[in-house]
Amino acid sequence: MRRRVAIVGYAQSHHQHNMQKTREDMVFEVCNEALRHAGIRRDDLDTVITASSDFLDGRTISSVFLSMAVGAFMKDESKVEEDGTFALYYALMRILAGTHDVALVEAHTQGSTMNPHQVSCYTLDPQFDRQIGVLNDIAAAALQARMCMHSHGVSEEHLAMVAVKNISNAAANPSAHRRMPKVTVEEVMGSKVLCDPIRELMMSPISDGACAVILASEEKAKKITDKPVWIEGIGSCQDAYLRDRNLQRLDSLQAAAKTAYKMAGIKDPSSELDVAEVSEKFAHEELMIYEALGLCREGEGRKLLEKGTTAKGGKLPVNPSGGALGADPVCATGLIRVVEAAKQIRGEAVGYQVPEVKRALAHGQFGMCAQKNTVLVLGGNGS
Amino acid sequence: MKRRNVAIIGCGQTKHSSRRRDVNVAEMVSEAVYNALEDAQVNVKDIGAFVVGNMPGFGGVAQPEQWLAESIGAAGKPVIRIATGGSTGGSVGQGGYYVVASGLHDLVVAAAWEKHSDSKEAGATTGLLHVGLGNFFHAASYGLSLKNLVATSVVGAAAGVAVYQAVFYMHRSGCRIEHLDMVAAKCRRNAAKNKYAHLQWPGCTPEDIAKTEMVTYPFRFGHICPASDGASAIVIADESLALKKGKQVAWFKGLASYTDEENQLQSENFGGVGVTDPSEQRGCWLSAMKAYKMAGIVDPSKEIDVAEIYQPFPSQELFFAERLGLFDEGTAWMALEKGETEINGRMPCDPSGGVNATNAIGSSAMQRILECALQIMGKAEEHQVPKKVRNAVAHGWGGVTNFSTVTVLGDTPGR
Repeated sequence: MRRRVAIVGYAQSHHQHNMQKTREDMVFEVCNEALRHAGIRRDDLDTVITASSDFLDGRTISSVFLSMAVGAFMKDESKVEEDGTFALYYALMRILAGTHDVALVEAHTQGSTMNPHQVSCYTLDPQFDRQIGVLNDIAAAALQARMCMHSHGVSEEHLAMVAVKNISNAAANPSAHRRMPKVTVEEVMGSKVLCDPIRELMMSPISDGACAVILASEEKAKKITDKPVWIEGIGSCQDAYLRDRNLQRLDSLQAAAKTAYKMAGIKDPSSELDVAEVSEKFAHEELMIYEALGLCREGEGRKLLEKGTTAKGGKLPVNPSGGALGADPVCATGLIRVVEAAKQIRGEAVGYQVPEVKRALAHGQFGMCAQKNTVLVLGGNGS
Repeated sequence: MKRRNVAIIGCGQTKHSSRRRDVNVAEMVSEAVYNALEDAQVNVKDIGAFVVGNMPGFGGVAQPEQWLAESIGAAGKPVIRIATGGSTGGSVGQGGYYVVASGLHDLVVAAAWEKHSDSKEAGATTGLLHVGLGNFFHAASYGLSLKNLVATSVVGAAAGVAVYQAVFYMHRSGCRIEHLDMVAAKCRRNAAKNKYAHLQWPGCTPEDIAKTEMVTYPFRFGHICPASDGASAIVIADESLALKKGKQVAWFKGLASYTDEENQLQSENFGGVGVTDPSEQRGCWLSAMKAYKMAGIVDPSKEIDVAEIYQPFPSQELFFAERLGLFDEGTAWMALEKGETEINGRMPCDPSGGVNATNAIGSSAMQRILECALQIMGKAEEHQVPKKVRNAVAHGWGGVTNFSTVTVLGDTPGR
């Protein structure tokens, strides 16, 4: 990278099904809190990049009434329409270009406004798949889950185990949506079938929520905070459309991770990373993500889970915050992972802190069956 | 820190028309992308990343880049989707600059499009209504408040916002409706020289426009942009690749995209500072100031050789030209009278015919950048301005009168 860039502040909302707040109020509070967390003022921001979707926000030009709520008023700003990690990617590029030094990244969705699963139908090929009317993101994920189960010996119990791990982790995270500390495999297996084998508790909840992150160039970051979280590597990639790709693999995630690891100088991710926060919208995705991130060999994701490697007290905890199964305000979900990874590095994850985190991975995804992915490797001062 | 020199090395667009029934969205976008790649003499395999965008609802597809990735060769590469309303194309073009300027990639395609005919919505003129309709979700959740109801009902779509803007400008500058006729006629005539443009009318006169029906004061039917189907794409490269081409390329010299407060009855909840004059456009002014500073331009009225202004409505060409520093406050209509903004004038504005003649919304602001690049490369064919183009300014505009993108291109990198 042309210059070092750090995360110097962040905030997220208390994600829940219906926040009983306007979108503007929710976003304003989170952005304000992020500025306070960094200890800077709105005047210190050079640029603002937001992430939201018109379809999910239920209005054309979703960012148009938010320019003041996000603090972009009279600032150089832009908006990506996908996961917040892509907004962060763009903001990082603006800083790397040398044209800006301090950036605020904001992402939000109020799932209670427009059902995200309904919206997913509008992302399908309009000439064929949408007309047939049998696919949405849950149905597509069910196909993917079956392929994963069939080829790698994954059972429904494994999916339930992922759900139990993440949902019970979420109970310790005050920002998470699902609050089920005593959830069991039986409870997950007994929850409603949405699209076989996907059950309600194997799928992320529909949440309202927002998240904001402040990035700064090295010179600025050192002035702003004693505990910068450095972006050591980043990679992003998009797969072909649902019908044109091998659904059994997350090729674009693998490519994104490869780029990020190369940039961060990571050769063996399973030993060099201390914690990972990933966006698993469905339980089976987490197992596929282990494999694509190179945390295990292909087809062995379930073994990591069985051995407890990725549990909270394991060798490489994955989603100690509860992940997307804990809360999923669609566009914000990836950015929340970045915040959770940064919290682990700074030792701020009260109640779910993993000991001695030097390096953490954060992952954001967007599109059906994780079509596009961004991976970040973060490190503290000591890494 | 030293900035990387970045240039546009290839441009591609499609023919614009009301209905492109021969192609779907994916095919239409790939037409523009492959035209750009051919123009740049680049293989799609060498492209490092894609930046794409359109207005989300207008083609009836959400996140269309997920569906059409393979059609443009983007599968297996980073793809960033940027959407900022009318300014989308400008934001996408600027996004492409930042991807290369960041040093993460050396060769990038930026593509923007709109296919209005695929949805039942005449997006170009009524799309903004949905911006206000979002307020109904508030109403449903939190009870109906009178101010939100009023704000929703008076937003009146793009034309509804633009009439206030036009009247404010006319009132403070002395511009008359005849001048709007002149701008519209100029756009139709210029468009006739641009083979990709939509509303082409060779020899169109202000009198021809004046004969059309009054739609909503001060706009006549002949003043209003069409809703077009079309796509545009540019190939952006770093200095070493750009210089290898051995041809004139268009260098990014300065760019910015400042946002003002949305103008809908002094902001959505009457909570803002209250933009009372929607033609004030401070965001555009700030963007222009920053872009010129980056480009080392001190007096744009002398140093800019050609301008491509985002003007779905003719009044916008006039006050945005002033905001871009091309003319003194309140004098753009006088320059228009003198013919200064014609293709062969002192300060040609929208030699391509502009948005007033072709409006495929997502693509429109991208086309401004693309047209400036063509002028610098000397590839604008019939609408090439008859002078050496050293600096050109491309403008984009959107939101509820609050988003602006200003991009300054030049024939040499940096200052």
